[in-house]
Amino acid sequence: MRGYRDESIAAAALASGARVLSRSLKYHRPRTFFCLEGHCSGCLVRLSGVPNLRACQAPCAPGAEVEGQNAFPSTEIDLLGAVDFLFARGMDHHTLMTGSSVLNRLANKVVRQLSGLGKLPSHAAPELPEVQRYDVDVCVIGGGPAGLEAAAQVARAGKHTVLVDDQLRPGGSLRADPRTGRGAAEASWRGALAAGVAVLARSTAIGYFPEDDGGVLAVSAPERLYRVYAKQWIWATGGYAVNLPFSDNDRPGVIAARAVGRLLVDHGILAGDKIAVVEAPSLGDDVAALARALTAAGAEVTRVPLERMTTVRGRAWASSIDTVDGRVECDVVAVAAIPAPASEGARQQGCRVVLDPPAGGFRIVVDADGRTTAPGVWACGDVTGYLGPAAAAADGARVGANVAAVA
Amino acid sequence: MAGKIVLCRCEDVTLADLAHSVSRGYRDIEEVKRYTGFGTGPCQGKECLAVVATELAKLTGQPPAAIPPFTSRPPLAPTPLRLLARDPGAHRFEDDQPSGAAWDDAPTIVETK
Repeated sequence: MRGYRDESIAAAALASGARVLSRSLKYHRPRTFFCLEGHCSGCLVRLSGVPNLRACQAPCAPGAEVEGQNAFPSTEIDLLGAVDFLFARGMDHHTLMTGSSVLNRLANKVVRQLSGLGKLPSHAAPELPEVQRYDVDVCVIGGGPAGLEAAAQVARAGKHTVLVDDQLRPGGSLRADPRTGRGAAEASWRGALAAGVAVLARSTAIGYFPEDDGGVLAVSAPERLYRVYAKQWIWATGGYAVNLPFSDNDRPGVIAARAVGRLLVDHGILAGDKIAVVEAPSLGDDVAALARALTAAGAEVTRVPLERMTTVRGRAWASSIDTVDGRVECDVVAVAAIPAPASEGARQQGCRVVLDPPAGGFRIVVDADGRTTAPGVWACGDVTGYLGPAAAAADGARVGANVAAVA
Repeated sequence: MAGKIVLCRCEDVTLADLAHSVSRGYRDIEEVKRYTGFGTGPCQGKECLAVVATELAKLTGQPPAAIPPFTSRPPLAPTPLRLLARDPGAHRFEDDQPSGAAWDDAPTIVETK
């Protein structure tokens, strides 16, 4: 496989023609990336002897060994995929083979061999890294349009600011939208750095522990754990690219529309020649912008509203979709769903959230200034309900200024 | 035959599984999580929680705002344990002496049937 240095392995795999990266846990259905943002479980691979790493968040490096997992003998031809056919109508594991105690013991033995994800690493972990501590005025979680602008505002006011972002390169949804793109992402990132923000890239907020010294945010980077202590917190984690419910919506080739945009805008990769976009209502402007950019790049684009969508056809990769208006040939199905607010970290800090389907899911409840219901905790951008990249950036700047005034 | 409508990619939980859970009386989001296993895989609900909760609201006829999320617990993302091993907060046991007395006093684990 060939790739550019620092390009993600998932993007390089797609551009090189590699298709199925792993198999699913229960039915052994074929899997590859869906979100391309390190959040779904589609692209888990074994990388240089370490299992369960996300190919979309692992940079290409010379000599890296990438292996598919959870399949026998290979991810393309997996004999355990028979489970999917045998249980075409689903499998209730609560009652499976519980009629006879002999059969049940046998079934347990088989299932225990099959369950689990990946095999143990081939070598012992290298040296254990030291934990590093940050004591700051303000911690911003999320380096997309809202977080970068908020952090820059706070740092320009002279506050010691750290920003945590889990992607290979900060920029978030700016890198996936043809109306903004890589240039806007790099400019916003540079702006935050110039303002004095300490940016922790490839670093994930993994949990907030309120009982620990007045509250600590644990942040994991590939080779380090950080403990972050802050006086004020800003959640700018955006929304997750999610799927829509239609038949065989998990087939490889069914990819988040934002991932299709990201491939085009950030990687220069056209995901397919014939792209069918299945879209939720209310995302018309976003989908129109993406469709224009894909068409300009040479793809044939068909837009299908979710309520007209029936099923995806194809086995290891989508080959067409059926709609109530007939069949559409395609080599990629792009799913445009409202991103689901990434509010689970803020929930650990006690922020109230509410399920609001038009906003994408469990949005953080904020007041007019961006305050959450937890003291010292703020939120801005898509995590408060879907806004889109440009509006999220404006929201981040506004809330950042409010935080700077009190921090 | 109609294919599977997958709501949770990590654990292969389908819309039919959710409907089955509701029909068995497991209608609370925490009950649905425990019965179907949704949200317990590598993504910890990032892709499926909002989708399942929205479908659950439709299936049970509740307003969406009446459905809370399931409890959010650390770690929010898969984390290699070696990153935590040298955390000062992790040194609650006498684990600087791997073969030390602390282990000799540990209760014996008895396998039960």
